[in-house]
Amino acid sequence: MPELAYNPANLPGKESILRQSFENGATLLAYPNLNSPAVYFRGYLPAGSISDPQGKEGLANFNAAMLSTGTRKHDFQELHYQIESCGASLSVSSGSLSTLFGGQCLKEDLPLIFDLLLEMLSMPTYPQKHFERIKQQLLTIIRIQAQDTEEMSSQAFDRLYYRDHPYAIPDIGYADSLGRISLDDLSNFHQQYFGPKGLVMAISGGISPENTSQLFDETFSTWQAPNQSAQEELPEFTPPDQACYEHIAIPGKSQSDLIIGTQAPVAMTAAYQNCVLGNSILGQFGMMGRIGEVVREQNGLAYYAGSTLETGLGPTCWKVYAGVNPDNLQKAIQKIKEELRRFINEPVTTEELADVKSQALGRLPLSFETNAGIVSYLLSLQRYQLDLDHLKTLPELLANITADDILKSAQSYWDLDKLIIASAGRKP
Amino acid sequence: MNSAELIRTSLTNGLKILIKPIFNAPIISSWLWYDVGSRNEISGKTGLSHWVEHMQFKGTKRYSGSEMEKAIARTGGYTNAFTSPDWTAYFQTLPSQALEMTLAFEASRMFEAQYEPEEVELERTVILSEREGNENDPQFLLGEQVQKAAFRKHPYRTEVLGETEDLLRITRDDLFGHYRNYYQPSNATLCLAGAIEPAQAIASVEKAFGEIQTKLVNRQIPEPEDSLEQADLVEVHGPEDANFIQLAWRSPRAADPDFFAYTLIESILSGPSSLNMFGSGGIGNRTSLLYQQLVENQIAASVNGSLTATIDPATYSVYITCRPDHQPEEVLSALNETVDSLLQAKVNPSSLNRALKQARANFAYGSDNITNQAFWMGYSESFADYDWFCDYVDRLAQVSPEDVQRVAQKYLKPENRVVGIYRGQNA
Repeated sequence: MPELAYNPANLPGKESILRQSFENGATLLAYPNLNSPAVYFRGYLPAGSISDPQGKEGLANFNAAMLSTGTRKHDFQELHYQIESCGASLSVSSGSLSTLFGGQCLKEDLPLIFDLLLEMLSMPTYPQKHFERIKQQLLTIIRIQAQDTEEMSSQAFDRLYYRDHPYAIPDIGYADSLGRISLDDLSNFHQQYFGPKGLVMAISGGISPENTSQLFDETFSTWQAPNQSAQEELPEFTPPDQACYEHIAIPGKSQSDLIIGTQAPVAMTAAYQNCVLGNSILGQFGMMGRIGEVVREQNGLAYYAGSTLETGLGPTCWKVYAGVNPDNLQKAIQKIKEELRRFINEPVTTEELADVKSQALGRLPLSFETNAGIVSYLLSLQRYQLDLDHLKTLPELLANITADDILKSAQSYWDLDKLIIASAGRKP
Repeated sequence: MNSAELIRTSLTNGLKILIKPIFNAPIISSWLWYDVGSRNEISGKTGLSHWVEHMQFKGTKRYSGSEMEKAIARTGGYTNAFTSPDWTAYFQTLPSQALEMTLAFEASRMFEAQYEPEEVELERTVILSEREGNENDPQFLLGEQVQKAAFRKHPYRTEVLGETEDLLRITRDDLFGHYRNYYQPSNATLCLAGAIEPAQAIASVEKAFGEIQTKLVNRQIPEPEDSLEQADLVEVHGPEDANFIQLAWRSPRAADPDFFAYTLIESILSGPSSLNMFGSGGIGNRTSLLYQQLVENQIAASVNGSLTATIDPATYSVYITCRPDHQPEEVLSALNETVDSLLQAKVNPSSLNRALKQARANFAYGSDNITNQAFWMGYSESFADYDWFCDYVDRLAQVSPEDVQRVAQKYLKPENRVVGIYRGQNA
C-alpha cells in the first residue's frame, strides 16, 4: 500500500543529500529523484555586478549573455544545435553577487550538457558579431523597461533605498554604460573572476548522487584557474533614516505600480524567521494576506497587492506592492499605511499565527515534489551555510515563535515615518 | 505515455471523473473543468466567463471565500483558476488527506455560489484593474487588435478579459445567469492526479457531488472560421521606445490531423512551445529558422511563436521585438523569405527528428509535476480526449516532410495572414 500521508522522515536531509567539495574549490549538492526521467540543475559562481567598474555598469550581465555565444570548441551554431537537438536547455545570467547558470535535460544527455556548460563558463570566445548583437538586444531591453511601470517602480525603489550602495544599480546597467563596454572589458572580467573556486551546483533528477558526483568530478575538476580573484566585498550599508517618495511619470499607462518598503532582517536569523511568518500574514496567506484583503477584496483597488520579504546575502528589503489605477494611487498608499500601522501596533491573532505555521509545515511535501523545487532548496542550504538536516529543525523553530515575537520584529523593521515609497505610471 | 494508467468514470448526474494515481509524493492535484469560456460569449457581454471565475472565490451558502482560501492555504496547498477561450478550470494542489475538504468546496461552488451585489461591484473594479495592467503592455494592445482582425465573428476575436465597455455594463444578473447555466455537473470534468486510491477517491467525489442536480446547458456555439480569407494589416501606436510585430496565421483545431504537422512547423520556424503549464522551463529557439534569420542576422532583438491546442481553428502567432536600428518593414521582408522557404521546399527529415526529441524532452520535464499531469488530463479532454495527449509524440513521429510542406502551403500563405505592427513614438 503506497504511503498517502506526509512523513517528515522522507524530507531531504543528510541521509539523502550529497554535499561534496572538490579540490579546485567547486561544490556539488545532489539529490536523487529516481522517478524522474530528466535532471534539473542550477548553480552560481562568485562573479556578479558588484564587481562592475564605475562607468561600466552592466558588465557582469553583458558577460553572462556572451557566454552562450561560442566557445573554443563550438561556435554559436554548433553549441545551440547540440543543446536544442537533445531537447535540453542551458542558460547563464547574472545577479548582484553571482553569475548564475542552469539547465535541464533528459538524464542520458547530462554528460553532453555538463561538457557544454563547462565550455561556456571556462572558454568563451567573445565573437565580435555576437558582441554587437547582444549589445543591441540589451539596449532594446532597456528601452522597453523604460516604459514598464513595474520595472521602473522597482528601479526607483532601489535608488531610494540603496542610494550609493551597488544594489541601487540595475544589473543590466544603463544605455550609456553599455556603450562604454568593450570586448576587452568582457574577457578581462572573465579572466579575473571566473574559475571553479566558489562555484556551486545543485542538481536533482533521475541519476544517483554518486553517479552525478563522478560525472561532475570528471567534467568540472579539469577546470583550473590559478589567477581567479575574489570579487569585490559588499560595502557596509545603512538604511535611509528618513521617508522618501519618488514617482516616475510614464504617460499613457493605464495602471501604476507601487512599492512601499523598508529594511529586511538578515536571512536565516531568528528575526528573519519571525518576519517570514509575519510577512505571510501581512501580504501572502490566502488571497495575498491582510494587504490583499484590504486593497483588493474590501476596496477593489487592485488586481494584485501583497508583500514580499526578500532573502539574500547582503542588505535586503521587505516590500508591500500593488498595481492600481493611477487615480487610486494615493488611496492605496493610505490603505497600506493603515494596515502597516495595525501590523506594528497589534499582535497578530492566535488564529493567524496558527494558520501560517500550519502552512509553513504543510507546504514542505509540495516544495519537494519537483526537481526544480529540490534544487532551489539545495542552493539555499549552500548559500546560507545551513546544516543538511535544517528542515528537521523547522517544526521546533516554528512552534516557538509567538505573536509577540512577530510584533517585536515588525516594530524593529517597519517605521511609518521612514517608509520608502516608489511608484511609476501616468500622473494621477 | 500510457492512457491505461487513467481511470475514467462518471456520476449519474453527468460529472465526468478522471483519476491518475501517482505515488511520487503524498500530494494530489484536483482540477475541475467547466466546458465554458469566452468562446461561448456573445458580443456586448464579453468577459462574463472570466468574471464568473473571479466570483467563484467570493463564497457560497456554506463557505465564505476567505474560509475556503484559508483552509487550503493552511494545509500548505495552493489554489487558482484560469479562464481560456475554450474552458474555465479551478485547481488545488495539496496534501492527499485534504482531498475531501477541497472536493466539498468545489461541489459547493458548483451550485450554491452567492454573487452578492456588493461583491460584484468590488470585483468589477478588480477586473478593470486587471485589464488596465494588461493594457500597460504594448504587446497586449497589439495582440488584441491582431485577434480582432483574424476573426470576423468568432469569439476568439475578443480577449478573455472582455471589452472594457462590456465590463462596465455587465450586471449581477448577467453573471449569475451565466454561472447557473454553465456550472452543471454534466458540463464539468473532475481530474485527480497524485497519491490517491481510486475507489476511495470515487467515493469521495460521489459524496461531494452526487446530490447536485443537473440541468440542460443552453450553450452558445460559434461557427468555426476555418480559414483566414485575406491579408490584413493593423497598426497600433503608443508611447513606447520600441517597435513590435505580431503575425497571425490560421491554425487548425487541435483534433484536426493537420495539427501535428503544424506543431512541427512551429518548432522548426519559431522554436518548440512547452506543453507544460506548470513545471520548469522550456527549450530554446536559437536554432529555429526565424531566430537565425531575424536575431542572428541582427534585424530583430527577439522572436518567438505560439501555437495553442483549441476546440475551433485559432491562430498561430509569431511575436517579434524590433531592434531600434531596423524598421518593421525590413523585419517583415526578412521574415517573408524564411516562411516562403517552408512553402517552397520540403524540410530535411533530420529537422523533424530534432523536433520529435524536443517534444519527448518536454514531456519528461512535465512529468515530475502532478499539477501539470492533472492539467493535461482536463486540457486534452477539453478539445479531444486524453488519448490525444498520450499519443501526442507518436502522432508527431508519423509526420513526414511532405506533410509539413502541405500544411505550410495550406495555412502559411502571405495572403492569408494578419500583420500587426506596434509603432512606438520614440522608437
